[in-house]
Amino acid sequence: MLVITRKKGESILIGDDIEITVVKTEEGSVKLSITAPKSITILRKELYKEVEEENKRALNFNEDVLKEIK
Amino acid sequence: MQLNTKYHGTKEYNEKDVITFNKGIPGFEGLKKFILFSIEENEMFYILHSIENEEIGIILTSPFTKFKNYEFNLNNEKLEVLKINSPEDVLVLSTVTLDSNIENITINLKAPLIINKNEKLGEQIILDNESYLVKQPLTKE
Repeated sequence: MLVITRKKGESILIGDDIEITVVKTEEGSVKLSITAPKSITILRKELYKEVEEENKRALNFNEDVLKEIK
Repeated sequence: MQLNTKYHGTKEYNEKDVITFNKGIPGFEGLKKFILFSIEENEMFYILHSIENEEIGIILTSPFTKFKNYEFNLNNEKLEVLKINSPEDVLVLSTVTLDSNIENITINLKAPLIINKNEKLGEQIILDNESYLVKQPLTKE
Protein backbone atom coordinates (compact mmCIF):
# COMPACT_ATOMS: atom_id res chain seq x y z
CA MET A 1 0.00 0.00 0.00
CA LEU A 2 1.18 3.48 -0.86
CA VAL A 3 0.65 6.23 1.69
CA ILE A 4 1.42 9.80 0.64
CA THR A 5 0.83 13.26 2.06
CA ARG A 6 -0.84 15.91 -0.05
CA LYS A 7 -1.74 19.50 0.74
CA LYS A 8 -4.81 21.44 -0.29
CA GLY A 9 -4.72 22.03 -4.03
CA GLU A 10 -2.33 19.18 -4.70
CA SER A 11 -3.20 16.09 -6.72
CA ILE A 12 -2.27 12.53 -7.36
CA LEU A 13 -2.52 10.75 -10.67
CA ILE A 14 -3.50 7.10 -10.93
CA GLY A 15 -2.69 5.54 -14.25
CA ASP A 16 -3.19 7.66 -17.35
CA ASP A 17 -6.61 9.05 -16.74
CA ILE A 18 -7.51 9.32 -13.07
CA GLU A 19 -6.74 12.46 -11.09
CA ILE A 20 -7.64 13.05 -7.47
CA THR A 21 -7.24 16.55 -6.04
CA VAL A 22 -7.52 17.66 -2.44
CA VAL A 23 -9.97 20.57 -2.61
CA LYS A 24 -10.51 21.34 1.04
CA THR A 25 -9.46 20.05 4.44
CA GLU A 26 -11.16 20.86 7.70
CA GLU A 27 -11.86 19.32 11.06
CA GLY A 28 -11.07 15.75 10.22
CA SER A 29 -12.63 15.69 6.77
CA VAL A 30 -11.10 16.03 3.34
CA LYS A 31 -12.95 17.14 0.23
CA LEU A 32 -11.65 15.45 -2.91
CA SER A 33 -12.32 16.11 -6.54
CA ILE A 34 -11.96 13.10 -8.79
CA THR A 35 -11.58 13.09 -12.55
CA ALA A 36 -11.91 9.65 -14.08
CA PRO A 37 -13.34 7.96 -17.18
CA LYS A 38 -17.04 7.16 -17.03
CA SER A 39 -16.29 3.44 -17.02
CA ILE A 40 -14.67 3.73 -13.59
CA THR A 41 -17.11 3.19 -10.74
CA ILE A 42 -16.52 5.53 -7.82
CA LEU A 43 -18.34 4.65 -4.62
CA ARG A 44 -18.27 5.57 -0.99
CA LYS A 45 -17.01 2.38 0.58
CA GLU A 46 -19.71 2.35 3.25
CA LEU A 47 -22.37 2.21 0.53
CA TYR A 48 -20.68 -0.81 -1.05
CA LYS A 49 -20.50 -2.44 2.40
CA GLU A 50 -24.19 -1.71 2.92
CA VAL A 51 -25.03 -3.42 -0.39
CA GLU A 52 -22.87 -6.40 0.59
CA GLU A 53 -24.71 -6.75 3.89
CA GLU A 54 -28.11 -6.33 2.24
CA ASN A 55 -27.26 -9.01 -0.33
CA LYS A 56 -26.44 -11.40 2.49
CA ARG A 57 -29.73 -10.61 4.20
CA ALA A 58 -31.51 -11.54 0.97
CA LEU A 59 -30.45 -15.17 1.58
CA ASN A 60 -32.95 -15.38 4.39
CA PHE A 61 -35.81 -17.43 2.93
CA ASN A 62 -39.21 -17.70 4.57
CA GLU A 63 -41.89 -19.23 2.39
CA ASP A 64 -44.71 -18.55 4.87
CA VAL A 65 -44.05 -14.82 4.71
CA LEU A 66 -43.81 -14.93 0.91
CA LYS A 67 -47.26 -16.52 0.67
CA GLU A 68 -48.76 -13.47 2.37
CA ILE A 69 -47.32 -10.85 0.02
CA LYS A 70 -49.48 -9.79 -2.89
CA MET B 1 -28.25 -30.89 -15.15
CA GLN B 2 -29.23 -30.97 -11.54
CA LEU B 3 -28.53 -28.60 -8.68
CA ASN B 4 -29.14 -29.75 -5.13
CA THR B 5 -29.74 -26.55 -3.22
CA LYS B 6 -29.65 -26.47 0.54
CA TYR B 7 -32.87 -24.50 1.04
CA HIS B 8 -34.77 -24.66 -2.25
CA GLY B 9 -34.82 -28.31 -3.16
CA THR B 10 -33.42 -29.84 -6.31
CA LYS B 11 -33.51 -27.79 -9.49
CA GLU B 12 -33.14 -28.97 -13.06
CA TYR B 13 -31.33 -26.63 -15.40
CA ASN B 14 -29.55 -26.52 -18.73
CA GLU B 15 -26.10 -25.15 -19.35
CA LYS B 16 -27.72 -22.41 -21.45
CA ASP B 17 -29.75 -21.20 -18.44
CA VAL B 18 -26.63 -20.31 -16.47
CA ILE B 19 -26.20 -16.57 -15.93
CA THR B 20 -22.63 -15.36 -15.56
CA PHE B 21 -21.81 -12.48 -13.21
CA ASN B 22 -18.26 -11.74 -14.30
CA LYS B 23 -17.71 -9.19 -11.55
CA GLY B 24 -19.32 -11.40 -8.93
CA ILE B 25 -21.99 -10.09 -6.55
CA PRO B 26 -20.98 -7.97 -3.52
CA GLY B 27 -20.92 -10.21 -0.46
CA PHE B 28 -20.48 -13.36 -2.55
CA GLU B 29 -17.16 -12.70 -4.22
CA GLY B 30 -15.85 -15.62 -6.18
CA LEU B 31 -19.29 -16.88 -7.22
CA LYS B 32 -20.02 -16.13 -10.85
CA LYS B 33 -22.44 -18.74 -12.13
CA PHE B 34 -26.09 -18.56 -11.17
CA ILE B 35 -29.47 -19.86 -12.24
CA LEU B 36 -32.73 -17.98 -11.81
CA PHE B 37 -36.02 -19.61 -10.86
CA SER B 38 -39.30 -18.29 -9.52
CA ILE B 39 -40.58 -19.25 -6.10
CA GLU B 40 -43.50 -21.68 -6.20
CA GLU B 41 -45.29 -20.13 -3.22
CA ASN B 42 -45.32 -16.67 -4.83
CA GLU B 43 -44.28 -16.14 -8.42
CA MET B 44 -43.62 -12.47 -7.83
CA PHE B 45 -40.33 -13.58 -6.29
CA TYR B 46 -37.28 -15.27 -7.72
CA ILE B 47 -34.21 -17.01 -6.40
CA LEU B 48 -30.89 -16.31 -8.04
CA HIS B 49 -29.00 -19.42 -7.02
CA SER B 50 -25.29 -20.08 -7.22
CA ILE B 51 -24.42 -23.31 -8.98
CA GLU B 52 -21.02 -23.14 -7.27
CA ASN B 53 -22.31 -23.00 -3.70
CA GLU B 54 -25.43 -24.95 -2.70
CA GLU B 55 -26.19 -22.57 0.19
CA ILE B 56 -26.28 -19.31 -1.75
CA GLY B 57 -29.69 -18.35 -3.14
CA ILE B 58 -30.64 -14.67 -3.18
CA ILE B 59 -34.29 -13.59 -3.05
CA LEU B 60 -35.23 -11.13 -5.77
CA THR B 61 -38.26 -9.38 -7.16
CA SER B 62 -38.94 -6.89 -9.93
CA PRO B 63 -38.72 -3.35 -8.55
CA PHE B 64 -41.28 -2.19 -11.12
CA THR B 65 -44.14 -4.20 -9.62
CA LYS B 66 -44.44 -1.96 -6.58
CA PHE B 67 -42.52 1.09 -7.79
CA LYS B 68 -44.00 2.01 -11.14
CA ASN B 69 -41.83 5.11 -11.56
CA TYR B 70 -38.54 3.40 -10.78
CA GLU B 71 -35.92 4.37 -13.34
CA PHE B 72 -32.20 4.67 -13.97
CA ASN B 73 -29.80 4.94 -16.86
CA LEU B 74 -27.34 2.32 -17.98
CA ASN B 75 -24.25 3.96 -19.44
CA ASN B 76 -22.71 2.78 -22.70
CA GLU B 77 -19.96 0.97 -20.88
CA LYS B 78 -22.50 -1.20 -19.03
CA LEU B 79 -24.52 -1.81 -22.19
CA GLU B 80 -21.35 -3.01 -23.86
CA VAL B 81 -20.12 -5.20 -21.00
CA LEU B 82 -23.54 -6.85 -20.68
CA LYS B 83 -23.94 -7.00 -24.50
CA ILE B 84 -27.30 -5.25 -24.30
CA ASN B 85 -28.70 -4.27 -27.69
CA SER B 86 -32.31 -3.55 -26.88
CA PRO B 87 -34.53 -3.02 -23.83
CA GLU B 88 -36.00 -6.47 -24.47
CA ASP B 89 -32.67 -8.03 -23.46
CA VAL B 90 -32.88 -6.58 -19.98
CA LEU B 91 -34.29 -8.05 -16.82
CA VAL B 92 -34.03 -5.85 -13.72
CA LEU B 93 -34.37 -7.45 -10.30
CA SER B 94 -33.80 -6.18 -6.77
CA THR B 95 -32.83 -8.06 -3.64
CA VAL B 96 -35.47 -8.53 -0.96
CA THR B 97 -34.90 -8.84 2.77
CA LEU B 98 -37.70 -10.83 4.34
CA ASP B 99 -39.08 -10.42 7.84
CA SER B 100 -41.84 -12.23 9.69
CA ASN B 101 -43.55 -8.85 9.97
CA ILE B 102 -44.58 -7.96 6.41
CA GLU B 103 -44.21 -4.25 7.07
CA ASN B 104 -40.51 -4.75 7.77
CA ILE B 105 -39.78 -6.42 4.44
CA THR B 106 -37.49 -4.26 2.36
CA ILE B 107 -36.30 -4.07 -1.23
CA ASN B 108 -32.93 -2.67 -2.28
CA LEU B 109 -33.73 -0.04 -4.90
CA LYS B 110 -30.19 1.36 -4.67
CA ALA B 111 -28.46 -1.67 -6.15
CA PRO B 112 -30.46 -3.43 -8.89
CA LEU B 113 -29.23 -6.58 -10.61
CA ILE B 114 -29.15 -6.13 -14.36
CA ILE B 115 -29.47 -9.36 -16.31
CA ASN B 116 -29.21 -9.76 -20.05
CA LYS B 117 -31.74 -12.57 -20.53
CA ASN B 118 -30.50 -13.43 -23.99
CA GLU B 119 -26.75 -13.32 -23.45
CA LYS B 120 -27.07 -14.63 -19.87
CA LEU B 121 -24.83 -11.96 -18.41
CA GLY B 122 -25.49 -10.15 -15.15
CA GLU B 123 -24.12 -7.43 -12.92
CA GLN B 124 -25.29 -5.67 -9.80
CA ILE B 125 -24.93 -1.91 -10.13
CA ILE B 126 -25.10 0.76 -7.44
CA LEU B 127 -27.11 3.82 -8.40
CA ASP B 128 -26.03 7.36 -7.71
CA ASN B 129 -29.53 8.47 -6.77
CA GLU B 130 -30.28 9.75 -3.29
CA SER B 131 -33.97 8.94 -3.50
CA TYR B 132 -33.48 5.20 -3.91
CA LEU B 133 -32.82 3.40 -0.65
CA VAL B 134 -30.98 0.20 0.22
CA LYS B 135 -33.84 -0.55 2.60
CA GLN B 136 -37.06 0.60 0.94
CA PRO B 137 -40.14 -0.91 2.60
CA LEU B 138 -41.69 -3.19 -0.02
CA THR B 139 -45.30 -2.99 1.01
CA LYS B 140 -45.74 0.77 1.07
CA GLU B 141 -44.42 3.27 -1.38
